[in-house]
Formats: sequence, structure tokens, C-alpha cells
Amino acid sequence: MSDIAAPIARTALSFPGPLRTVDGWETTARHATGGLRLTDLGPLVKLTVRGPADGSVRTALGTSFGRTARPRGGPLAGALVVGSGPGEWLVLGAPGTGGELLAGVGAIVADSGEFASVVDVTHGRALVRLTGEAAPLLLSKVCAIDLTDRVVPNGSAFRSSVARVVTDVVRDDRADGAARTRSYLLHCERSSGQYLADSLVDAGIEYGIEVGAAAADPI
Amino acid sequence: MMLLTCPNCGARNVSEFRYVGEAKSRPDPETATPEQWRRYLYFHRNPAGWISETWYHGSGCRRYFGIERNTVDNAQRSAAGTAGATS
Repeated sequence: MSDIAAPIARTALSFPGPLRTVDGWETTARHATGGLRLTDLGPLVKLTVRGPADGSVRTALGTSFGRTARPRGGPLAGALVVGSGPGEWLVLGAPGTGGELLAGVGAIVADSGEFASVVDVTHGRALVRLTGEAAPLLLSKVCAIDLTDRVVPNGSAFRSSVARVVTDVVRDDRADGAARTRSYLLHCERSSGQYLADSLVDAGIEYGIEVGAAAADPI
Repeated sequence: MMLLTCPNCGARNVSEFRYVGEAKSRPDPETATPEQWRRYLYFHRNPAGWISETWYHGSGCRRYFGIERNTVDNAQRSAAGTAGATS
């Protein structure tokens, strides 16, 4: 019997309270029941892809700068592909799918024949989801971008300064039956993650923000 | 606050950008005299009026781009041919 425990990865964010383990990742086990919640999505697989902005990599990934896509088939099925910059993509996948996703995106890059790269940055980035109808109000306190539907509709993405941290902001509304709830993914460098999360919690106090996941939230 | 229009991201707060400097052609380092090189590095026109500049959008698309800006009223117009533009 081995006395060496299985290695545990820790997300960039640490909050007081109980912990749980998701696919080898230690993260907060707090439950949020309020209308505005901040959820740590650190365990999600994160890949960055760089290549020509208008080439076959772009075609295979299915989206371009400022938009997102959820491929239904192929090697990226189930992943969220974000056009995070000109010739730059962020691919998010379920925890534990890193190997398959990296192989799938790697094959796309290799088959393209273009000067492109894919890097697994799962451990190097922080990722949180801000869900709730008050989310744009909260973000307007720390981000100068107009978040109205006309400028940032569902399925769009941009990179800007959020609480003075360079952050990828992805609008990815949650569907609960016929109802849709405003939701944003916020992705930044790991070392800035805790500060960003604390800033969002601080800005969200007046809207009753809670840290944790609701029962309906997929990780 | 000053707004600067990035060709990729649109109008953004100028705090998202880094000012690179006036766009001008670099002399050939192999043939330039020290005087020419010093003038290229340290001497700037600083006009009151339109100037071609290079900016870096560090908090956005992370691209360098050229723009023409009026130093009197900060009016801007695109300058696709400006040296340093990579977008």
C-alpha cells in the first residue's frame, strides 16, 4: 500500500470554507443560492491556439475574433472555442479532457500546414464564471466596455481591462429551460486570478454576490 | 479620459494602450552615422497638429497599429500605411 497521496492541483482561487476535488483539482465546495454568483472554473481545460487570423485553422476552429463557437462534432465536440484575439483562440473543455482536446486541436494545427501553435495553459490561467442578471451592473464598475446586448451579445468575447487586469471576457448565457441567465466567463493570468476574483466579490457586495456553484451550474 | 480607436477592438480607454512613439523610418544601422542614429532615437518633431504614431494595445488585441492623431485636440484618423502598423 502506497503512502504517497495522489497529486492534487489547486486552482488559482482560494476561498474560506470547505473544499472538494474535481478530477484531481482542489477547489471550493461552497454552494451559492443567490441570484448573482461567482464560480471558480479553474479545473476546466484551457488551450490557447495561435495562427493566421484568416486561414484553415480559423475555419477548423469555427470562429473568429470576438465570437465563440460550441462545435457539436469532431475533435472539439463539447468544447467552447473563443476567438480571444486576431489570430488567437482559447479552447475550453471539461475537466479531464485535456489529452484528447490537445490531440484534437494539435491535429487541426498540424493538418493546416500553417504556422500555428497550440499550448495547454490549464495550470497557468484563472477562470471564473459570473452568473446573474446583475452581472453586467457589477462588471460596469470594473470594466469600461459597454455590455449592452447591442455591443456584447450572447456568444461574443473581448479582451479588456477588468479591475485593471487584462482579462478575456466571454458572454456565455446559461439556459435553464426557456429562461436565459446572463453569464460571463472571465479568464486571466493565474497570478492575477485571486485579485480579480476578490475585486469582483468586492464590487458585487451591493448586488448580493455569492462565491460558489449553484446546483444547476455545470463546472 | 482619452479614447483611442484600435483597428481591431474599436474605441477603448487610452489606459489600455502603450504609446510607442512617432512613426518614422529607421535609418540603416550599417550605414547611419552616429549623428543620424542619435537623431533617430532621441529627436522628435513634437508638432502642434497631425502626427503619425504607433501604439500597442496591450490590454486588448496585443497588436501594434498606426494612427494619425491631432496633438491639439486628440482627433484621430486611421493611418493604414503608418510604419509599425501590423494589424
